[in-house]
Amino acid sequence: MNYTHFPVLSVMGLFLGGFLVEIFGSKNKTVRNIIVMLFTTVSACLMLYLTIPVFGRGEVISYWMGNWEPVGGHAIGIGYEIDGLNMFFVILVVLTYWLSAVYSIKYMEKDRHLGHYYTLFLMLAGSVLGLVCTGDIFNLYVMVEIMTFAAVALTAFRNKKGSNLEAAFKYLVIGSVGSGFTLTGITLLYMQFHTLNMAQLASLVSGNMTPVSVLALSFMFIGFGVKSFIVPFHTPAADAYMSAPTSISMVFSGMVNKAGVYGMIRLLYMVFRVIDKSAIQIVVVVFGAVTMFIGVTMALAQHDFKRLLAFHSISQIGYVITAIGLCSLMGMTSGLFHAMNHTLFKGLLFLCAGAVLYATGTTDLDKLGGLSKKMPKTTICFLIGAFSISGLPPFNGFASKWMIYQAVYEKAVVTGNFFYTFVTVTAVVVSVMTLASFIKVTQAVFFGQAPKNLANTKEVPFSMRLPMWIMSALCLFGGVFYRLIGRYLLIPAGQAAFNITNYIDAMLGESTAVSASVTNVSMDLADGFSYWNPIVWLVIFITVLIAVCLVLIMGSGSRGKVLESGKDAAEDGKYSTFFSGEKSEYSHVAGSDLFWGFKHNWRKYFGIMQSVHSGNINDYSLMTVICSALIVIVFTVIFI
Amino acid sequence: MTGFFDIIENIIKALVFPGLLFATIGGLILAGFDRKVIARMQRRVGPPILQPTYDFFKLAGKETIVPHAANKPVYLAAPFVGYVSLIVMMTLIPIGGYSAFSGKADLIVILYLLTIPAVALIVGGSASGSPYAGIGVSREMVTMMAYELPLIIVFLAVARLVGGSSLEFSLQYINAWQVANGPVISHLAMIPAALAMLLVIPAEVGTQPFDVAEAETEICEGPLVEYSGLPLGMFKLNTAVKMFVMTSLFSALFLGGIYNGIHTGVTLWGIHFLDIIIRAIIHFAISLVVTLICMTTVHAVTARLKIEHLFKFYWTVVTGLALISLILVWIGL
Repeated sequence: MNYTHFPVLSVMGLFLGGFLVEIFGSKNKTVRNIIVMLFTTVSACLMLYLTIPVFGRGEVISYWMGNWEPVGGHAIGIGYEIDGLNMFFVILVVLTYWLSAVYSIKYMEKDRHLGHYYTLFLMLAGSVLGLVCTGDIFNLYVMVEIMTFAAVALTAFRNKKGSNLEAAFKYLVIGSVGSGFTLTGITLLYMQFHTLNMAQLASLVSGNMTPVSVLALSFMFIGFGVKSFIVPFHTPAADAYMSAPTSISMVFSGMVNKAGVYGMIRLLYMVFRVIDKSAIQIVVVVFGAVTMFIGVTMALAQHDFKRLLAFHSISQIGYVITAIGLCSLMGMTSGLFHAMNHTLFKGLLFLCAGAVLYATGTTDLDKLGGLSKKMPKTTICFLIGAFSISGLPPFNGFASKWMIYQAVYEKAVVTGNFFYTFVTVTAVVVSVMTLASFIKVTQAVFFGQAPKNLANTKEVPFSMRLPMWIMSALCLFGGVFYRLIGRYLLIPAGQAAFNITNYIDAMLGESTAVSASVTNVSMDLADGFSYWNPIVWLVIFITVLIAVCLVLIMGSGSRGKVLESGKDAAEDGKYSTFFSGEKSEYSHVAGSDLFWGFKHNWRKYFGIMQSVHSGNINDYSLMTVICSALIVIVFTVIFI
Repeated sequence: MTGFFDIIENIIKALVFPGLLFATIGGLILAGFDRKVIARMQRRVGPPILQPTYDFFKLAGKETIVPHAANKPVYLAAPFVGYVSLIVMMTLIPIGGYSAFSGKADLIVILYLLTIPAVALIVGGSASGSPYAGIGVSREMVTMMAYELPLIIVFLAVARLVGGSSLEFSLQYINAWQVANGPVISHLAMIPAALAMLLVIPAEVGTQPFDVAEAETEICEGPLVEYSGLPLGMFKLNTAVKMFVMTSLFSALFLGGIYNGIHTGVTLWGIHFLDIIIRAIIHFAISLVVTLICMTTVHAVTARLKIEHLFKFYWTVVTGLALISLILVWIGL
């Protein structure tokens, strides 16, 4: 079977599906669902088939569109190329859009103009898939543009509310600034090297950082920074994630900002290969650390479920950026692992938020409460997601965060730079704050007492719960069997990110990569995986649990009974919550001021943050442009 | 047959020593001493040493009421999850230099495993649906944010001292290093870190003056307000076991190499039984002393803090102490 056609077929298929669904499916619900599920499933299967040659046999798949192969080592046509790193992101992308498509069927059924929705959805899916497959930097820019505009339109999809349009407008403006920077950077590169092929650029640019190249690098860094919503370019993210339908919020956090991360990796590790300069590493790690810290502290101050999740997305991307900035195999694998886990648990959490919105009609933390009795399955999924993102063992968030701490600390020890120790401490503290803000959601939404107007809330339908269960299972699997994932997925992908020679050779033929040297990094990862064995922990846990249960069962003769209130027992004082003898009444501790003791000490910081996040697009644009100018200055100073 | 004996040995490790039985009994006795000594400091007679044990069995015999607003499975499971994860913690910490499974987890894993009992308390309290529990949950979480920062800095300081240039975080390795180079606390630069750790222990366990989350006099024991019967007893037991786990962690981190001279040579089925028993007794004695220093005395002479003062105290004074050690170690003192 000639599988080299699969990437382009998948991307084309998704775009084609986008048009077909508008033509045939805008009236008939069944036709529409069939078209969407057919195209997403087929493209996902085609792409997943490629794991066999790429991860199984270590091949690099390259494909020249229209058979425009390079002449004399000079690339002319558009090439698609898939090595381990691309394949890793491809897996994230297909997983995200497939699960989101399944979830959309029920979740979106109350909306109108669903033909438009699915057109945009498939365009978004196709563009991100194309972005992580392409080997041509201008094609990458085109995909970034399609992605941005599909994302903007989807943000404004529920356009009855003015705030949704405002969010889309913010995304449009900041996103366009980012795209503009990317395009300028690409233009500057093309001007110098007369090629747009990433492999060829990589072999030409390396060790050849002219001032114009530095400018191109900083512009493209800004561009991908905007796409992955790192601080200070995170401003449109919160509004966009909140306003978009939840199935789309999940896609945003699952693959749209991962596309930015992918671009960042290719930019820093391959095209310019500047990551081995320690100053660049520090700049990237600073961006990552600031992003994770500001993201999580802003999340602590939020009153809306989805907005809170949006700020956590920013924060978790900070972890990923920190890890990839370390330029070590441990850092790269842990960063990729965290990116993957973020796709899983944040997708899960967004789906839970969507389920709450579907069931109750609101995501305001102050108006919800006591849903765990009405929606027990959603509650369990939410708790798994919350424990994963806060890094509690044995869930997947813990495994990847723990690897990131080790990678950062290893960097601190190897370089003797105290700054990296500081980053390790920041990462741990951010993790605790993440836990705090999810405890807030747990208390405010799922536990506590239900307000009167939510008395008739029902559990969401099965087709919405299915993606949630799949993701929960993957969260647990990833945490317990992280060594397996590491061996078969992460290490090949991480090594591919460093193995540039391989990438260039596969694209342009055997002999062209003479000038390209692999970044000098140890490819051995024995230490990183040795000190945490979740399986042993689980086995001891279960052994002790069984023993405790046996003791309880044997001692049950002398033990008191478990008494529970019946149907009409709400009146019985014995089962009402404790009110010092007063009659029980509705009293729920809502989310807004749960961490007063913390916020009080940090009131000055939160005051500053509030004034920075003014919600005014003029301020945001100004901030973006000023920070971009600073980045250009910093990069120039580093290289000159 | 060796495989079979390995399984038996591991089950004994998990259930008898240093797991379930040892941790539970040790914790209950520590809690008894704690109450007795506080009473003596306050010129009371105090309860018998076994009072916490009696309390547990008394509570186990009472009926358990699930409030109407509570989520039953989470409400009932939380105390048991917390208890079991504490027991597993105990098997990962070297007891008297004897490590059962401690090569299987490093310091950062320990840090995160320590959060599970706290999260169990928080989630259980939250699931009860009471507003008092809601306030208690909030305070418990802020306390956790407060002590986690100094704790990670203490851990990094120890890891830096022990690891030198390589990456070694495992408690087993730290123990081996202390056997070779003397206890960590004998290095002057580590004394502030040890002090910081001593201050973290009462907040982690939740004793006065850091018991804001369970303040009986104002929010009726916070997360525990709705609990009754066996689950309440389990949470009380968790506090007792947590005392033992935290003090054991302290002695594993800072007092590791002091068992060097203990070799009786008495063996039974190839295991140095007498050594292990003597070491376990010494270990328990150290835990007792640490408890008396950092929990009992402090409890007897202080009154409860407000939550914002607690947070400030940990992020300034205690973090400062830990940071001094980290910087001193980093520059090679």
